[in-house]
Amino acid sequence: MRYQRRGLDVVSHLLLAAGCGLFFLPVWLAFTASTHSMSDLYTHIAPLWIGDVGLANYARLLSEPVNGLNAGVLRLLFNSLVMATGIAVGKIVISVLAAYAIVFFRFPFRRLCFWLIFITLMLPVEVRILPTYEVVANLQMLDSYSGLILPLIASATATFLLRQFYLTIPPELVEAARIDGAGPWRFLKDILLPLSKTNLAALFVIMFIYGWNQYLWPLLITTDADYMTVVVSLKRMLTTGDALVPWQDVTATAILAMGPPVLVILILQRYFVKGLVDAEK
Amino acid sequence: MAYFQRSHFMPWLLLAPQLIIVSVFFFWPAWQAVEQAFYIEDAFGLARHFAGLSNFMAVLSDPAYYSVIWTTVVFSLSVALGAMSIALFLAVLADRVIKGGSTYKTFLIWPYAVAPAVAGVVWLFLFDPSLGLVTALLERLGIEWNHNLNGGQALLLVILASVWKQMSYNFVFFLAGLQAIPKSLLESAAIDGASPMRRFWTITFPLLSPTSFFLLVMNSIYAFFETFGTIDTVTSGGPGSATTTLVYKIYQDGFVGQNLGTSAAQSVLLMVLVGGLTFIQFRFVERRVQY
Amino acid sequence: MATLQLTRLKKRYPNGFVALHGVDLSVAEGELIVIVGPSGCGKSTLLRTLAGLESISDGELTINDRRVNELEPAERDIAMVFQNYALYPHMSVAGNMGYALKNRGIAKDEVRRRVAATAELLGLGELLERRPRQLSGGQRQRVAMGRAIVREPQVFLFDEPLSNLDAKLRVQMRLEIRRLQKRLGVTAVYVTHDQVEAMTLADRLVVMNGGHVEQCGEPMTLYAQPATRFVASFLGSPAMNFLPLTAHQGGVVLPNGIQLALPFTLPEGRAATLGIRPEHLCEAASTTEGAILEVTVEMLEPLGADMLAYTRLPGLDEWLVVRLDGAHAAHEGQRLSLTFSPAHCHVFDAEGRRVAMAEETDAKVRAVQ
Repeated sequence: MRYQRRGLDVVSHLLLAAGCGLFFLPVWLAFTASTHSMSDLYTHIAPLWIGDVGLANYARLLSEPVNGLNAGVLRLLFNSLVMATGIAVGKIVISVLAAYAIVFFRFPFRRLCFWLIFITLMLPVEVRILPTYEVVANLQMLDSYSGLILPLIASATATFLLRQFYLTIPPELVEAARIDGAGPWRFLKDILLPLSKTNLAALFVIMFIYGWNQYLWPLLITTDADYMTVVVSLKRMLTTGDALVPWQDVTATAILAMGPPVLVILILQRYFVKGLVDAEK
Repeated sequence: MAYFQRSHFMPWLLLAPQLIIVSVFFFWPAWQAVEQAFYIEDAFGLARHFAGLSNFMAVLSDPAYYSVIWTTVVFSLSVALGAMSIALFLAVLADRVIKGGSTYKTFLIWPYAVAPAVAGVVWLFLFDPSLGLVTALLERLGIEWNHNLNGGQALLLVILASVWKQMSYNFVFFLAGLQAIPKSLLESAAIDGASPMRRFWTITFPLLSPTSFFLLVMNSIYAFFETFGTIDTVTSGGPGSATTTLVYKIYQDGFVGQNLGTSAAQSVLLMVLVGGLTFIQFRFVERRVQY
Repeated sequence: MATLQLTRLKKRYPNGFVALHGVDLSVAEGELIVIVGPSGCGKSTLLRTLAGLESISDGELTINDRRVNELEPAERDIAMVFQNYALYPHMSVAGNMGYALKNRGIAKDEVRRRVAATAELLGLGELLERRPRQLSGGQRQRVAMGRAIVREPQVFLFDEPLSNLDAKLRVQMRLEIRRLQKRLGVTAVYVTHDQVEAMTLADRLVVMNGGHVEQCGEPMTLYAQPATRFVASFLGSPAMNFLPLTAHQGGVVLPNGIQLALPFTLPEGRAATLGIRPEHLCEAASTTEGAILEVTVEMLEPLGADMLAYTRLPGLDEWLVVRLDGAHAAHEGQRLSLTFSPAHCHVFDAEGRRVAMAEETDAKVRAVQ
């Protein structure tokens, strides 16, 4: 594009680089802090460079029980992984089926079902948190993986995205499959799922991050460290009463807590961007 | 487009998992919230009696509730406008540099993956009154920072952390929106002699308005709900109630204060509010997406 | 190979729209039937009810004397070629062609053998491992054909299979479809809106309009003796000329007062339409007895072999299109004397139905002054 100006290009690059740096800075400082000892942190102003007890800090955190909890961060990370994976896989499975029914079948009350499912887009779990807690308590699911996962699956975001995608499948493809002797199950397995691969990957990324980052729900329904997630544990570590906050532990746990979702987003960036923009537009 | 019209049983089988989960974990609780809002329960949870609208009256006649609404509005608008304007600025830059645009994208989208609670912790560390880097810098400028005592500073801190996390989401959408604008429009404006600034305000910005409107709604919803983790880790709603938003108050009244009736009444009020907000959003989406 | 029998076949949609008003048709073994008509005439609906993609509201459909109304598409033993080919984008050419066989539980080796044989027949041997998006339009068309052929179905159904191809490829594929269908001897029903395709491919042609069959027969019969004004106007290019006329004193009179004696018997005073094809109007030699239409050339379209002259008869609004020899020296504004043989005249009554010609076939067309 000839009408662009060179000077403006240089300025743009500089501003963008500065923006990237500024956004990265808080995380960098958290990381450097996590590699220093507690006495170091409290005697010097926040260190800008990596200290020498990083490995020891992380090794101790992962294996030894965190203060106030009877489990190490490794266990917490595992719980987060189970929860995030469970939510992502669970949502995808029920959404694939529900969206398939809504788009490719005609049956009585189809419209009603559509609205029953999609009205859930309107009210996030935070609004109905108390009664949901009671329901889960009644079902004896407090302090369990199913209690962590199932209520968070009860939303239609994935169903909505998949429905949007299914609507773009040419009807002739379904007709060709019917003529070729593929029934509904075979069409789903042989044609629809392989065609949705990219969308499913995108959904997985979005839902995994959504699940991993949940805070209020796991905070409420987990009381013991066997099921607590790493994101929720941060608050416990900050609550020290009169004692000094062990910032080297808190920052290290924060780094560990953001690691998996950030890795997922960076590795699957292509799918993520496509999925996000397609889903919401 | 009647496809598998001869299978009568199968669609119900396919829908069953979603319908069951939605009924048990969405409609049942939502209904209970509505029901609970009309009852008063005794302190031990042993008995309850119908209370009509008194729970709502209690909530609506409490001046503290209005200050919480005000806090929520200030907080949400600041987060939405802050996160959107930074994102738009960076997206415009990333869109106009042809080389490296996608690299910048990679370096800017990762905060999306950071949990609000984790974002809160990271920013809390920067502003820690005794050892935070920013606190130390501010001290040199003669500003004393202690968000544990100063309500305004506490609100500013949760806003900063929330903006930092939400910016990347907006960035992705603004960049996609910008890239969807036909380059020929901008080229013809350039031929007509419009300066880059003028091109942005007269062509790009109006064409982005659907994206902006969508993001405004999404950012408000984010500020309402997802920032719970940020607020809880950074300030726990304090000092006083300086950073208590509507959702945080429901949590405090219901779980900490064990005042189920008024907490449920607040839930219902919030449901109506958010339902309305999302309905507007949904109408907007449906206009572009055929049923 | 199969026979196909449609008896008063009706299609009514849930919203009340009737797409087919009782269609009767029988298709013989190995016959290629082309269904042609304007868009919305019901030709695609008819094909889709044959395929089983649309349910039949009333009437009966049999394949080889077996009622198939209630059968799923796959159980009818038919194959269909779609307008946009509908190839499975994530499967290779071989996968696309073999999918139906696989679904029937045929052994892998057998599937591979049959796919290879069909690919050979269509010249697709090199492309078997490619994905549809790596193929050209013509190649995709071939794969769609191959997918139909490999199943050895009782009936082929074609839904405007050539309309997405460019003009040159369309002619080539048209010939190829004809060749393959004759060679395999499979009964086929072919839907198109292109009358050239219809004329060239059909053993028998079905012209549809508004959910009815207007006429069914061999292409040249429909061309020479269209049963309705609609059929007459639909087949032939440029379209047939129509002149309004009124019966008068045993002959007819045109709106501008010219009287013609035609070998048709119409009740006195009845309005009707005279149809003459552009290729059947010719310049009258000076010696020809009874030159009858004096026209003025208003526009010329040289097509190479032919020259189309858009002429006007004084006092009439309609063009009269004449197909002249390509080397004709006509110029705009020129006056022409036209004549035509009564054998080439078509008369349609007010309802658009063909009026039978009178017995005396040697009757002459005369202008009665």
